[in-house]
Amino acid sequence: MTALLETRAVTQRFSGLVANSDVSISVGRGEIVGLIGPNGAGKSTLFNLIAGVFPPTEGAIWFDGCDVTRLPAAERCRRGVGRTFQVVKSFETMTVIDNVIVGSLVRSTQMREARRKAQEVLEFTGLAARADVLASDLVPAEKRRLEVARALATSPKLLLLDEVLTGLTPAEAQTGVELVRRVRDTGVTVLMVEHVMEIVMPLVDRAIVLDLGKVLVEGKPADIVRNPKVISAYLGDRHAVGA
Amino acid sequence: MDAQFAKRRRRDLVVAACLIAIAALVPLFVTDVFTQNIMVLTLMYAALSQSWNILSGYCGQISLGHALYFGLGAYTTALLFTKFGVLPWFGMLGGGVIAALIAMALGYPCFRLRGHYFVIATIVIAEIGLLLFQNWSWAGAALGIDIPVGHDSWLTFQFGRSKLPYFYFALALAAVAWFVTWWLEDSKWGFWWRAVKDNPEAAESLGVVVFDSKMGAAAVSAFLVAVGGGFYAQFVFYIDPESVMGFQFSLLMALPAVLGGIGTLWGPPLGAVILIPLTELTRAHMGGSGRGVDLIVYGSLIVLISLASPQGLVGLFARLRKALLA
Repeated sequence: MTALLETRAVTQRFSGLVANSDVSISVGRGEIVGLIGPNGAGKSTLFNLIAGVFPPTEGAIWFDGCDVTRLPAAERCRRGVGRTFQVVKSFETMTVIDNVIVGSLVRSTQMREARRKAQEVLEFTGLAARADVLASDLVPAEKRRLEVARALATSPKLLLLDEVLTGLTPAEAQTGVELVRRVRDTGVTVLMVEHVMEIVMPLVDRAIVLDLGKVLVEGKPADIVRNPKVISAYLGDRHAVGA
Repeated sequence: MDAQFAKRRRRDLVVAACLIAIAALVPLFVTDVFTQNIMVLTLMYAALSQSWNILSGYCGQISLGHALYFGLGAYTTALLFTKFGVLPWFGMLGGGVIAALIAMALGYPCFRLRGHYFVIATIVIAEIGLLLFQNWSWAGAALGIDIPVGHDSWLTFQFGRSKLPYFYFALALAAVAWFVTWWLEDSKWGFWWRAVKDNPEAAESLGVVVFDSKMGAAAVSAFLVAVGGGFYAQFVFYIDPESVMGFQFSLLMALPAVLGGIGTLWGPPLGAVILIPLTELTRAHMGGSGRGVDLIVYGSLIVLISLASPQGLVGLFARLRKALLA
């Protein structure tokens, strides 16, 4: 079977700055893939390219057997790409359930059905008790979960998680990890950008390390953490030699 | 949860039906023409503000140029009637369609602008419209159009002797604008609009086509405002560019919604009921001296209400209820 998502030699330049250079990655169906790398490695850019915020300068993006390189974000969502934002973007004047209904309306035009789907997703993500609260009244950890809930309501095939576990307390992060596993168990493929290695590594099936806009290495988490190239990218050459 | 929501929607509908019924009975007791005139204007502005609220309140695209659509409705109705003998009923609908089309044509470039730039564009475009009409001789230019007065008739929608038919039409218009809003509020469009207002980027990622949402809101909003403009032409019998397309109309459409609660179902009618009588009464009792005392009093009252409830009166009521229940 072909991969669900493929980037083919994608390059993105921002007036002189090369954020992604010749990046080719692929994500198979049912996988949890981690996209990691130090600050400024180009993770967020690649993420935005996959979600369709802007088209790449060069290269192509294939999703579910189709070339989606030129499709806008809304259309990609309709085809099954769901995403969260690193800096949460809740609809602040709307209640939690209304936030999620916006997502579920992609699949169902009937309000009753959209509301039911939203309710289901809230229960799945553990936000049901907060359904009628304004999004602006949520605590940060709940806002992160709302991001995930909204994206899940669009019934995605691929869920893009942008640092949803960063900055949470260990207990909150653990709940988050379990949520991601449960999402995968429902048949959704997950591609997650993460910063904190100790959280992602036990969770993902495969990790892709970006550095300076290029794919540095990819492979099983256990191999990645021992790879000298990765250690030097994160900590500098001195530590790589020591390893 | 679901049942609670459905109950709230039903309650809104019942309250609206009761208010409309009560309003319909008021002219039986209030026969004074001056007061009836104020009531007609209040209902008309409730309808206009409710329509403005669809684009600017729900979808968040603040327009201070809706006078353009009001004027287009008035002119279409008056021109079709005086030049071609088309009944005002069709004129109002035609005006609505023209305004909706123009709103979308203008939206095409303008909806790429954000925030203050969009607001400025709406003001400027409405001013251009005003200038065009002031120089368009076929449409009467600055002299305007006198609508020939015939017998009182529902067919031509002209009534010289009584304000009551206008009152009931304005009431129906306000009811329709309210009902359209109520209906759209719990539809895909209503959700899309609010999402676009709060965060367009997040909305887009959830499958909301931001541009189409804005276009839809602009079309509905402009259509309803233009019908109001057509009504106004029939009500005053004489229109000129300044008296139907002036900037004050843009303001008078925005103010009731802002004061009552922008982006809410009940904000515009609540704001209109307070604001419009205030406008008319201060003008009648304090105006005419040439010193603008009425405007000073009027302006101060608006500032006071805004200070007391920055989120509009609807927000104030919600807070009061919360405080009482707690």
